[in-house]
Amino acid sequence: MILPLDASLVDVEFAACTVLDRAGETAVLCGGSAAAYYVPDLYQSLDIDFVVEVGAAPHIVDRALATIGYARAAEGHYRHERLPYMLAFPIGPLAIGREYVATWRTERREDLVLHVFTPTDVVRDRFLHYWAWGDRTALDVALAVARAHAPEFDLAAFTAWTQRELAADPSYDPSRIGRFLTNLERA
Amino acid sequence: MRRDDLRPAVFGTATRDRVLVRLALSENGLHVRELARQIESSANAVHRVVIGLERAGVVVSRPVGTTRIVLLNRRWYGAVELRTLLERLAYAYPEVRERARTYRERPRRIGKPL
Repeated sequence: MILPLDASLVDVEFAACTVLDRAGETAVLCGGSAAAYYVPDLYQSLDIDFVVEVGAAPHIVDRALATIGYARAAEGHYRHERLPYMLAFPIGPLAIGREYVATWRTERREDLVLHVFTPTDVVRDRFLHYWAWGDRTALDVALAVARAHAPEFDLAAFTAWTQRELAADPSYDPSRIGRFLTNLERA
Repeated sequence: MRRDDLRPAVFGTATRDRVLVRLALSENGLHVRELARQIESSANAVHRVVIGLERAGVVVSRPVGTTRIVLLNRRWYGAVELRTLLERLAYAYPEVRERARTYRERPRRIGKPL
């Protein structure tokens, strides 16, 4: 599969996920790049984060990504000679905070596939980034995804999850949940 | 750090144990040089350990001015359990605990006498 030099972030995401899928590895798009997938007009990223199954053989990943012109630049990072997007493979398992993620959405574009966090999981992931580190950009992205995908965003599940995280780690600031919900209502 | 230190290296090496224990005792994180000083190791050795732990997602680092502050990753899926374990493990490293106890992380007004 040849990636054109004007390939977009989403083009690369589909291509990388597809070649890995064909090699027998399920890679799930997560982190900021998953947010960029859902709100491309509001948020862009040059890093594409995939989590592959724990135990995935590096040589299989290397060989699959080489077919779209990506080569390993550092442990867990792959670069293309002419495209600006970097592929990163954070060590799994796929999790948001304390909870494992076992289901995701599979998008299809002709014969290409992309496994990606659901909108609710993207909101959880970005909100947790804000919750843990106070990163306001991550809060804005979480809100943007929740608003842009309101029919699919499960607010009840999100709220229940924040309570579970809070019960496990009371040092999290509960007022940040309130800030998210208040801002969401303002939309 | 003494070469004849016979304490078990729960996380593989004594340096890794000490780095993790010291980070568990820190609220705001430490930069690598200070971390190395606190656990009596070399900055290079601590840097190597931090890179490995960061790759595994156990610690994170963030830029502050011209340096990087290292801290335990509270977003990591086992963060709560790890911190509990490290707080227990800290009792095997009283010298690290003592240095942490006397190390001031809170801001202090310039010129205020000690």
